[in-house]
Order: sequence, then C-alpha cells, then structure tokens
Amino acid sequence: MTLTHQSALVATGYDEEGALIYADGRLVAVLVRLSDLHEAEAGHWYLEAGFGIGLDGPNHETFDSLDEAKGWIADQLSRRERAAPTRS
Amino acid sequence: MAASSSHDYAPLIRKLESTLQLTEAERQGIASLPLQVQSLRADQDIVRVGDRPSRSCVVLSGYTATYKVTGDGKRQIHAWHIPGDVPDLQSLHLRVLDSSIVTLTPSRVGFVTHDDLRVLCRAEPRIMEVFWRQTLIDGAIFREWMTNIGRREAYNRLAHILCEWMVRLRAVGLTDGSACELPMTQAELADAMGVTTVHVNRVLQELRADGLISLKGSRLEILDWEQLQQVADFDPTYLHQDPGEAAA
Repeated sequence: MTLTHQSALVATGYDEEGALIYADGRLVAVLVRLSDLHEAEAGHWYLEAGFGIGLDGPNHETFDSLDEAKGWIADQLSRRERAAPTRS
Repeated sequence: MAASSSHDYAPLIRKLESTLQLTEAERQGIASLPLQVQSLRADQDIVRVGDRPSRSCVVLSGYTATYKVTGDGKRQIHAWHIPGDVPDLQSLHLRVLDSSIVTLTPSRVGFVTHDDLRVLCRAEPRIMEVFWRQTLIDGAIFREWMTNIGRREAYNRLAHILCEWMVRLRAVGLTDGSACELPMTQAELADAMGVTTVHVNRVLQELRADGLISLKGSRLEILDWEQLQQVADFDPTYLHQDPGEAAA
C-alpha cells in the first residue's frame, strides 16, 4: 500500500490549509493544519475526516507533522486489512 | 469530612422545590438528614463504575459530571450536575454504579446514607415521589442529550448545551441576569458533545462571531437568547421545571 498526499484548501472556516491523503489512489483521509485559533496546537495536523473502518470514528486525532499523520493512517489501514483479510 | 450546617441543605431544598412545592414538614425532614460534608479538588472522582455505595451525594457547591470511559480510554460525559443535584440517587435502588462521577471544579459535596434516605422516604412519602421524579427528569435530560449528540451539528449541539446550562442554573439562583459561570474546560465540553477540542474551539468561535454569546474566562454571557434558543432547537419542556406540573 502506498500513501500519497495532495494539497487542498478545506472549507472548515478556520483551518483551511489541508492535505488529501490517498492510499493506492483512493481517498482515505482529509487533514488540516491547525491555525492560530488553536493556540498551543497551532501548526499541528488534524484528522478532519477519514473514510472507512479505523478512520471514520469520532475521535479525530491530532499529529505533530504530516509524516506522523501518514504513519498513523498507514497503521490504521493495515489494522483494517488484518481484521478483514478477505475484504480487500 | 465535616458535619453539616443548616445552610448546606439550601441547594437541595431549592432544587427539589424547583419541580415540586414542599410542605414545611417535608423541608424539615430534608434539613434533618445527617449529611457528611467533604470538600474536593477539581478533577477528583467522587464515585466510580463498579462501586457499591451505601450513601448518595448531594452537590452543595461547585459542579460535577457523570461519565464513562471506553475500553480504549475515551471518555464520554453524560450529564452535568449543579448545586442541589443528587447525581447518584439511583444507587439507592441500583446497588452497583454503572457510571463514575467527577468534580469539574473544587466542590463541596454532602453524603447521606441510604438508610437515612429510606427512613425519610417512609416518614414523608411525598419525598419519595419527589426523588423518583428527580430520577425521571435525569432520564429526560439524558434522552435530550442523546438526541443532541446523535442528531445535531456541533454548532447547534453546543448552543443546546449552553441553553440547558443557563436554564438549569437559573432555576437554582446561580445566574446573574443573562450571565453565569461556565466552568467546563474545552476538553470537558468535547467529551460531553462527542467531538474533539478542535471542533469545540471552532464552534465556540462561531457562536461568538455570530453575536450569540460572549465567553471571558469562565464567565458566559448570552447576548441573544432568542437566537441561541432557535439555533439550539431548545425547548425546555424536558427539564420539567414547573412545580405545578407535579401537583398530585
């Protein structure tokens, strides 16, 4: 599985600088970079939306960097595959 | 742990009277309950899931919350408790606690034994009814929270939480005109709303930008009650605050 990303503006109202994360060409998550509104967390990356098991829960994670976010997403996707080996 | 003084009973009596007018004998009965008073720091558990308490607690001052934690450590807050509330009254009949209660702020709580509560309920049967009524109202609030969390967007959801908070505090005399204390942290609001602190921060900002509220430190002021209520889809019927409603 290969994760790639593409920059995007996301209309959250406050944290618009974002990245679309693709796994093997399929959109799996939208991340945004937190603005100064979030004070101590400004500059961190936030899972704005995720798609599918392991990524679409209510507990949206925050990451120090885009690479850390991609690592976590890869981890969630591999867990998904392990949990349902026949699905993909 | 300290013994109670007479004014310790005022929040409980005021709370019960916000839903049912008590007789003098009933007020006396409540004021004669032996109450062990304890001062607690913020973020301190009063009781925990799995406890088998032989007493219930009355919030005398400060604020508390009921919560549960999922297997992977995520907390969901189910209810706020304000002075006068008896957040674990159900333990009088349900032996094992199925949720935990934590202080949100430094608080004073009064513990009353189940045995003493039973004696009072036998002596003053309407007190038993009013306690029953309180737990039914807790259930009504819970149903409203479930609807709020499950079916309203975060902006409207937070507006609803603020409307309810204001109306509940007003019923026990803890508002100052259109202002009141909002002691919850953004993390606690997030845990009550089922969203993240990032999301809470955004919707608080939007409610401010839309001129509905002002929030300075922990002082909340409602700037446009009509509009906030409309945004929240807030109908206070579920709080059953009309003492006449229970006349029976």
